[in-house]
Amino acid sequence: MKKLKMFTTVLLVSLALILSACGTSKTSGDGEKKTLRVVTDAAYAPFEYQDKGEVVGFDIDFVKAVAKEAGYPVKVENVGWDPVFIEIEGKTADIAISAITITPKRLQTYDFTVPYFLSKNEILVPKGSPIKSAKDLEGKKIAVQNGTTGQEAVEKLFGENNDKLKKFENNNLAILELKKGGVDAVVADNTVVETYVKNNPNDNLVFIEDDGTFEKEFYGLLLPKGSKLKADLDKAVNKLLENGTYEKLYEKWFKIKPDIKILKEQQ
Amino acid sequence: MDFRWDLIVEYAPLFLKGTLLTIGLSVAGILIGAVLGLLIGLGKMMRKKLWALPFRWYINFFRGTPFMVQILLIHFAVVPAFLDTTNGILAAILALSLNSAAYVSEIFRAGIQSINRGQMEAARSLGMTHGQAMRYVILPQAFKRMIPPLGNEFIVLIKDSSLAALIAVPELMYWGRAMQGQYMRAWEPYLTATVIYLVLTLSLSSLLSLLEKRLATE
Repeated sequence: MKKLKMFTTVLLVSLALILSACGTSKTSGDGEKKTLRVVTDAAYAPFEYQDKGEVVGFDIDFVKAVAKEAGYPVKVENVGWDPVFIEIEGKTADIAISAITITPKRLQTYDFTVPYFLSKNEILVPKGSPIKSAKDLEGKKIAVQNGTTGQEAVEKLFGENNDKLKKFENNNLAILELKKGGVDAVVADNTVVETYVKNNPNDNLVFIEDDGTFEKEFYGLLLPKGSKLKADLDKAVNKLLENGTYEKLYEKWFKIKPDIKILKEQQ
Repeated sequence: MDFRWDLIVEYAPLFLKGTLLTIGLSVAGILIGAVLGLLIGLGKMMRKKLWALPFRWYINFFRGTPFMVQILLIHFAVVPAFLDTTNGILAAILALSLNSAAYVSEIFRAGIQSINRGQMEAARSLGMTHGQAMRYVILPQAFKRMIPPLGNEFIVLIKDSSLAALIAVPELMYWGRAMQGQYMRAWEPYLTATVIYLVLTLSLSSLLSLLEKRLATE
């Protein structure tokens, strides 16, 4: 009998824990604008990554500034790369910010705000590698993050789902694979690659630009198709681009000045 | 809901390739894990406590840490330490078999210890050695009792092999994720993977129940 009681208590306590974990998020004050749920994949320094458990980065600062400008409170949550798209498609999140490139394919399923970032793919190789341009990647083993434009760029050059291409859960694992000698190169966004090289000089990795092969990409905030937030957020993004907030955040995270003109030209 | 059959058709050859690799990984994991598990199980049953200690800790380690941690550790740290490069398939087989060996060893131990002590005493009094008694009396009976829990473990192993996608081993789940990454759709890739995994695990469990019937004495 005592055992049974014990068992029931444990069961009840764990049930209570589970329930309390679910019940917190959906409170909305009356009169106030509702808290927007922002999802991200925090494995993409310096855009979004975890600093001692807290999601931080350029994107996080930026989305918070945009939401503040538009007058919404936000709650940022790290969910992983693929779930970001599933949550937005299912409208369980309001905004995704995760260095997401605006592509025609994605525009079929989602909406984007006006672009807030310019990016291009670059190649990461060990020092002294014979790879000097995208052309040299032919026949070489390449690691990418699954579902990124880096993967698309490589597949455009050497065919979809070819044997030499290894798709990883995130760029950290792809770069780790390169360091451990499993692949010859990693193709990823310039800021990711350059920050890695700068922060890890002992790894003896270098980055290679190839503007002739890799197209320029623009990041936007990802929204569910037909989102009512788009007009508000577009206005807020433009405001930040104009009033110097964007430049300040950019310099804080990347230590270089942004090219705001090219972003405005894209609108 | 629109369901894009054409995407599944497009990815069918890759899913097939992935399924074959999943089967390969699982079979390798099951076989190596079973042999290793038997040895470790016997090791843990050794009378001398000190000799049994490493086996006990092997089981503690592999049962007490998440498989996801084990596979990342083996792929990015253990294998490169020996080969100087990574090898996804090797790492996956190693992780699967080392992990399942821990569980299998406990199943073996439980099976052997579930046989009544009198059986061993009777066999020994007929003049059999300890080894002979094990081989001809205890193990055949114990094996029959081990089949259901072993089947459990092997089904878990097939499902765990999906974590090899983390280290870019092109097995079934890898292609499901690749397809999801390319088309940003959730139903088609994951439902396809679900169905294939279900077919694999169901085939295994029907194989095992066939074996059970074969060995039934009553």
